[in-house]
Amino acid sequence: MKLNWFTRKGIFYLPVSLIGWVLLLFAVAYAVYVFIDIDSHSHSVSDTLTNFVFNLLLIGVVYSIIGYFTEARKPKA
Amino acid sequence: MTENEEFLKKMENLNVPEINPREHPKMVKMAILNADRSAALGVWLIILPCYFLCCVCMYYFFNAKAGWFGSMFALVTNLDKTRGLDLLAPFIFLIMPVVCIIINMLAIIHVGYRKIDPDNNRVRELNVTIKIKFWNIALILLSVAVLLAFLGFAMTESVSVKN
Repeated sequence: MKLNWFTRKGIFYLPVSLIGWVLLLFAVAYAVYVFIDIDSHSHSVSDTLTNFVFNLLLIGVVYSIIGYFTEARKPKA
Repeated sequence: MTENEEFLKKMENLNVPEINPREHPKMVKMAILNADRSAALGVWLIILPCYFLCCVCMYYFFNAKAGWFGSMFALVTNLDKTRGLDLLAPFIFLIMPVVCIIINMLAIIHVGYRKIDPDNNRVRELNVTIKIKFWNIALILLSVAVLLAFLGFAMTESVSVKN
């Protein structure tokens, strides 16, 4: 089954379908929620950033794994 | 001269290609996975362990009293705001680099196993071809380095806990 939800530009997966855009918006919204959540428990800016970047990369990894399996393949020349 | 004769003359004057039976037969060497796609996913798989190791390096260099393993302990403690890190840690630091190595190896390695001599079944040839793709090889080496660092840390930690 081919799921053409994303297209790849370098190492980034860009959405090309409605489901792709929904997934991207969900990832961004979740990243914002995580930032607010971490910031409310942190004691310093570096504490917030260290934890947030880790979470942001984790979200990016999950998003990219989904993008890898649902990427629209270019036809072979 | 009839058309038929002309055609026959043309055919007689055709240059026949010379075939050298000693020359190694050319073959299409297809890898199992696409190299570019594997490299793109590989970057994402290795980015988290690399971020963690960069944080450890910074902690180690900016804290004169901290040792390498002490820095790792301190960073793991600092990342306690990441929910479920205890469960995710083996996945992020061991499984993801291993997957990165596997997908990049599959993208650059071609293995061929065939008979050389049609008369002798016992004589066979194993060809392992590695494509020189910079990013795939760099990601494999980086993943191996990350794995060794975390396995070393895990072993040292278990030895220190036992003592």
